[in-house]
Formats: sequence, structure tokens, C-alpha cells
Amino acid sequence: MTVGLFIQLLVNALTIGAIYILMVLGLDIILRGTKILNFAHGQFYMLGAYMLLLLFQLLHIDFALSLVLSVLILALVGAICYVSIFHTVRQRFAVTTTFSYRLLLSAMASVGLMMILQQGTLLVFGTQERGIQSPFPQVLDVLDVRVSLSRLLVIAVSIIICILLYLLMYRTRLGKILRAVSYDPEAVTLQGINTFWIFIFCFALGSALAGVAGGVIAPLFSVTPSMGQDVIFLSLLVLLVGGIGSYKGTVLGGLVVGLLLSFGFQFLGGIAELFLFILVIIFLSFRPGGLLGEAAD
Amino acid sequence: MKQLTSMKGKAVKQVAIIILAVFLLTLPLYIDSAYIMHLLIMACIGTILGMTFSLLFSTGLISLGAAAFYAVGAYISAVLSMNFGFSFWGAFPVTVIASACLALVVGSIFVRSGGIAFAIITLLFASAIVLAAGQVEYLGGWGGIIGIARPTPLGPVEFTNKTPYYYLALAILALVILAFYALYTSRIGRAWKAIKLSPNLSGTLGINLYRYRLLAFVVAAAGAAAAGSFYAHYFQTVTPGAFGGWLSIYIQLYAVLGGLEFYLLGPAVGAVLMTFIPEYLRVIKEYEPIVTGVLLLIVILFFPGGILGSIINSEKINGARLWSRISSIGTWMKKSR
Amino acid sequence: MALLEIKNITRIFGGLIAVRDLSLDVNEGEILGLIGPNGAGKSTLFNIISGFIPPNKGKIFFKGEEITGLRIDQIAQKGIARIFQEPTLFMQETVFENVLSGFHRHYRQPFWKAFLHTPAANREETLKKEKALEILDFMSLTSMSNELAANLPHGHQRALAIAIALATGPELLLLDEPVTGMNPTETMGMVEKIKRIRQRGITVLIVEHDMKAVMSLCDRIVVLSLGVKIAENMPAAIRKDEQVIEAYLGKQVI
Repeated sequence: MTVGLFIQLLVNALTIGAIYILMVLGLDIILRGTKILNFAHGQFYMLGAYMLLLLFQLLHIDFALSLVLSVLILALVGAICYVSIFHTVRQRFAVTTTFSYRLLLSAMASVGLMMILQQGTLLVFGTQERGIQSPFPQVLDVLDVRVSLSRLLVIAVSIIICILLYLLMYRTRLGKILRAVSYDPEAVTLQGINTFWIFIFCFALGSALAGVAGGVIAPLFSVTPSMGQDVIFLSLLVLLVGGIGSYKGTVLGGLVVGLLLSFGFQFLGGIAELFLFILVIIFLSFRPGGLLGEAAD
Repeated sequence: MKQLTSMKGKAVKQVAIIILAVFLLTLPLYIDSAYIMHLLIMACIGTILGMTFSLLFSTGLISLGAAAFYAVGAYISAVLSMNFGFSFWGAFPVTVIASACLALVVGSIFVRSGGIAFAIITLLFASAIVLAAGQVEYLGGWGGIIGIARPTPLGPVEFTNKTPYYYLALAILALVILAFYALYTSRIGRAWKAIKLSPNLSGTLGINLYRYRLLAFVVAAAGAAAAGSFYAHYFQTVTPGAFGGWLSIYIQLYAVLGGLEFYLLGPAVGAVLMTFIPEYLRVIKEYEPIVTGVLLLIVILFFPGGILGSIINSEKINGARLWSRISSIGTWMKKSR
Repeated sequence: MALLEIKNITRIFGGLIAVRDLSLDVNEGEILGLIGPNGAGKSTLFNIISGFIPPNKGKIFFKGEEITGLRIDQIAQKGIARIFQEPTLFMQETVFENVLSGFHRHYRQPFWKAFLHTPAANREETLKKEKALEILDFMSLTSMSNELAANLPHGHQRALAIAIALATGPELLLLDEPVTGMNPTETMGMVEKIKRIRQRGITVLIVEHDMKAVMSLCDRIVVLSLGVKIAENMPAAIRKDEQVIEAYLGKQVI
């Protein structure tokens, strides 16, 4: 393998990893904050891509601004979804039922949402694949390899967001509250904080992260309504591998999966994904908690 | 499982079951359409699959990969039939046993995780099975296996039209129901209920969480594989695409729609509804996932007990009043004699 | 040989030493009280004995057999039953069904016979139901047999938890704050019941804060403070022990 190929695969791996890190961080924030396993998460990714299509491609708004706008819109959509659907589920089943009930019902509700969002987008935009003209079509020539700037953008955005999230979670009061809520929502309420808004924030933040992922990846791959479905399985896989409840684990898991997929596809072709699943299953039999996660429920 | 414990309740239940059985058995006599027969058969399969979900749910585990062993059963049966010359009657038991063994191996890993991790890993497993079937040439790749033989004739009965298939499906369904019912009403079912209600407490009572959950996993897999085996010889084709996508999700929907607490009847109600209603709404095919999604949300938000859960709650009140009125009339009649 | 021998148990959580090199013996037929201020390590010790948490160091022996590191259900099978501080019951089941579930480990008929509902299995079922009624009577819960556990008042929920534990046929019963939150009448009633439990041949290890109950109930008392045993003696001696009084400085007087 030439150095050039290696670098290309590496960049690819980092790009894929970056996307999944963003996705799974969002998924994890939602899961830990609101205890919802959000299957519709992939749809927010898809919507992020479509938002960018709309704003950047069709309305010719500046790329960076489009990105920011779509993030805000998706956060809003996420908030609306939470308030209209999940909060009701949560309130209904707060005390009387077992954990498995609440998990199942909110997960099923998210499945319903997923179906609505996916099919709805399909009906509005049609099934055809769309492309977005990359705002950074330039390509770098590094050591005989052509590395597209768009991919580096994805990686850069991901790193920036990880840093921002870290600062939010560990250096601000809001972050403290967010972390506290995942351990003991009641204790947080006792401190006089209205957890309702915290839950909304978690869900909105998580959805926004998915939206960012979709937005930055849109120039690289085609935009279709089934994007969400394609990405949710691997997101869940990374969640498991990294360990539920560990942000560092998520980052690590995302990188590992990115590397495995990138190099895997190169050498194994289509079997790569299957291989990944089998590896993960074997891995989980030795470490059910994932790389760094708390032992599962 | 909700059980009417009064004597009258039991009698009513038994009569209802007999009436239902007679109805189901004589159905082919007054139904002409092969298409409706097909739907009934699919409803039977759906019921079995939904019941496997409920079985795991009865131990507090949520499996999102109900389709996994359905596919495994179908493929094993197909391969046995095509490559080893088994007839359905031979392939069926072998498939169920082989699937149970696979479930034992795989389950011993999966069941160690709880709650969310188990849900995700079963989902991934189902996708992995579909992927594997698509990638592996021996299993026909994405084109699948075609031309699987029909079941060899059973005495004078040949499997040339839907009717014998219907009875076969019904027979398998009955088998699964009996097996599950026997489990639920035994010590094993009680242990499952204990685990679901309070894993901590059940542990202190000497119940081995892991072992009982693994048992449920294996039994559920066996049931799904049975349905899969039937599928292979009914459709005579198995393709990876038939087991992926929304299937696992629809299976849970059957149980949720019917009523999560009704481990046997719930999936039946859900499967029947979900099989027949979309067919009548086929005109709006494009909107189907949206309708299903909205339906799902409505059920969860407003009827979390499912259909049966919502009915039974009101029946309890109305039924009791009705009966007391009837019996008081009887007493009055006796007195005035 | 004592019924339960705890030898040099240490348990650390993060940087906190919850239990430090603790050794104690519980003799057969006695009622041993475990007291100490909050954070003394009493609940941790219970969790270690019953298998919820493994110790970092040390061993535990039950009837001469080592049980360190066994699973929760394995320890229950050996004959150790445990009550939780928060009411841990099958809330959506009736009182009767709750108690019945306690007999799980005593069924002789194997799995598959139960599955097939053989006459022998059915007979065993009936026997267990009779025993359940007897236990309910013992704990004065008969009138509530058909109530859902969730609907029971707090004191009765405690009694139910004990009834379930009794159904497991234990030799050692771990009671975690059985009378906390009860009024004096209820407390006296519970104390009587616990005495009668001992009369049935069951050894009792009890964690409690209610000093009156502890004093009237226990044959011996062990005092923990910050994970360390600071006293072990008869109740009268404990009352006068200076170290104990100091540990409780500012707390409810003995």
C-alpha cells in the first residue's frame, strides 16, 4: 500500500469517524438526559442535509450561515418533537411502570416519528438523489494524494464541536445541570431547576448535532430521504461500542469504527460491514459495557 | 398475563376459545378468495412473531431483532430442502432445534447486557443476519434462494392451494401458543414475571436472572424459526430483503397495538389488524409508513395499554355490573317461586 | 463455627473507603444488631453479604462455606435472605402472589415437569399456597391477601417484604431498617414479630437506627463508624461505651 493510499484511507476514516462521533454524541446526550433511545435521530441527520440543500443550494445563502441556520432550525424541530410527543410519554409513565416500559414506549414513539419524518420528506422532495455543490471544491495535494477540502471541513467541524461540547459540559453551570440530570432528575428538580426545559434542551441539542453532521456531509454524498435510515444502525453500533454514557468512549468508538470501515471497504469490499458487526458482537461478549461505558443497565 | 380468576370468568374464557377455534377451523369453507387466505396466513405468521417479542418482554427484555431468527429459520429450512433434500416435515424440526442452538450461543452473549444495550444489540444482530444472507454466495446472495419445494403431501392432502397452508400455519400457531402458555403458567413464567417486575428482588429469591432470560431468548428464537421455516416452504423463495427494513419494527408494533400486557392475545389482535387494515388502505400506498407512524404515536400517547388494554379496563367495570344484574334477576326469580 | 463469618472485608468506592478491614461473626440463633451513624458502611456491608457488590478484599463464610463473590441468586439459594431499605416488592402483584414467589427455590419438581403441569407439580403448587397463607398469618397480613402491594400502607409493605423473605426459608435474615419510619405501636409489633422469627430458628442480622428497638431486640450489638468496627458487645455495655457515644455525638441519644 502506498503512502498516498494510506493517507486517503486515513482521511476517509477520520471523516466517517467525525460524522459518527457527532451523531452518537447527540444520541448519547438525548439518551442520558431524557432516557429516550431516539430512533428518529437519523432523520434529523437527513433533515440537516435537506436544510442545507434548501438554504445553500436553492436560496443561495452563504454556506456557513446556512449551516448555522439549519442547526437552529433542527434544534427547534427537535424541541417541538420532544414537547409534542416524548414529554407526554414521559409524564404518563413516570412513576407507575418499570424501566423497560418507558424505554420501549419512548423508543417506539421515536420509531413512529422516524417513519413520519422519512416518508414525509420523501413525499415533499421526491426520491431522487440530489447533490450539493461543495462550497470548497478545492483539493489539496499532499504527498501525491488528492485530499478534498470538504472532507477536512467535516473533520474540522467535528473537532470544533467536540471542544465546544466539552466546554459546555464540564466548564459551565448548564453543563453541570445536564450531567446531573442524567444521574438523578429528581435531585435536580429539588434544586429548583425546571427539568422540563432541561429535557427540551437535551433533545434539541442532540438533534442539532445530528443536523450538523448531515449538513457538513451533504456536499460529499448524495442527499436522499433514506439517508437517515442508512446512518442509524452504525450510530447505534458506535454507541454500544463506545459505551453508553461515556463521551470519551464515543469519540474513541467513532474513530475505531471509522478506521475499520474505511480500511475494511478497501480490502474487503461489501463484507466489511458484516465483518464489523461480527467483530462488535465478539467484542461485546468480553466487554458488555463497551470501551469505556458504564456496565449496561 | 391477565387472567380472570373467578369461576365464571374461566368458563367464559373456555367457551370463547372453543367458539374462536371452530370459527378459525371452518373459515376456508366460506372464504373463496385466495388473497384473503393469504392474508390470514400472514396474520398467523405475524402473530407468532409478535408473541416471541412478548415472550422476551415478559422478562423485561426488549428485543428489536425479532426478525433475526425468523430469517435464520427460513434460510436453514431452505438450505436443508434445496441442498440436502429434506422435505418440509423433516426440515421443520431440524430447523427449530438448530435455531435454538444458535440462539443459545448468541443469546449467552446478548443476555448479559441489560435494557438499552440488549435492545440495540438485537437490532444490530437482525441487520447483520440480513447482511450476511446477502453477502454469502452459498445462501444465494441478494437474489436469495428460489424454488424451494412445497411440503410433501400429508396423506391425501396436497399443498397445491392456500387451504392446506392455512391449516398448517394454524397448526404451528397452535403449537406455539400451547408451548408459550404452558411456560407462562408454570414456575418459569412466574420467575419471568418476577424478573420483569423487580430484577433485584427476584435475585434475592434465588432466581438466576441470566439463566431465565436466556431460556426466554432461546424459546423465542425457536418460535420465530418455526415461523421462518413455514415461510420458506410457503413462499418458496427466501431473499434477504424480506427480513430487513421495517419488519422487526412492525413485529413490535403488533404487540404494542394489541396490548403489551397480553402476551398471547395482544400480538394476535395487533397482527390481524396490521395485516388486514393496510390492505384495505392500499390505495394510499405512498402514505402507508406515515399512517403507520401516526398510528403508532396515537396508540402510545393515548392508548398505551393497546387495544386490549383499553377495552379490558372498561369491561372490568361494565362486565361486573352486568353479571351482578343478571344474577340478581336470577335470585329474584328463585325467590318469587 | 459461627453461622456467618465475615473476615477482613474491605470495600472502596472511588477514593472512599466504605468498609475497612471489617471482621465479625454472626452466631446461629442470635439477633445481632448493626448500628452506627450514616455513612458507617452498614448498607455496603449488607450489599456485600447478599452479593450485590463484591468486596475488594476479604472473605465471607456461611456455614463454613465460602460465599465471597457469589451471585445474588446463589447466595439466596444458600439460605440468606435480605430485606431492602426501600420497599422492594412486586408492586403490581397481590400480597399473596408476592409471598408465593418467595418459594421459588424450594420447588422439588424439575423445570420440565412444571412445564407439563404434571399432577406432582400441581400438588407441590397447592402445598406452597398453603404455606404462603401460613406466613401471611404469621405476619398478620391475611386480611390484605388480595390487595396489590402498591396499595399497602408503608408499615404493611415492610411486613410483606419480610413475609417474602420468610418464604424463601432462610437460615439467616438480613433486615435493613425494618422499623424506620414506624410509630411506636407499629415498632413494638414488628419487634415482636422479629423475636418470633428467631424462635423459628432463623438467625437475624439487623441494621437499625431506632435505638429502643435495637436495645430490646438484640443479643449483641456491633457498632460501625466510617467503615470500621468500633465496638462489639451486649446492649448494656454498648450503652455505656465511650467510643460509641462519641461516634454518635450530636445524634439521637442511645
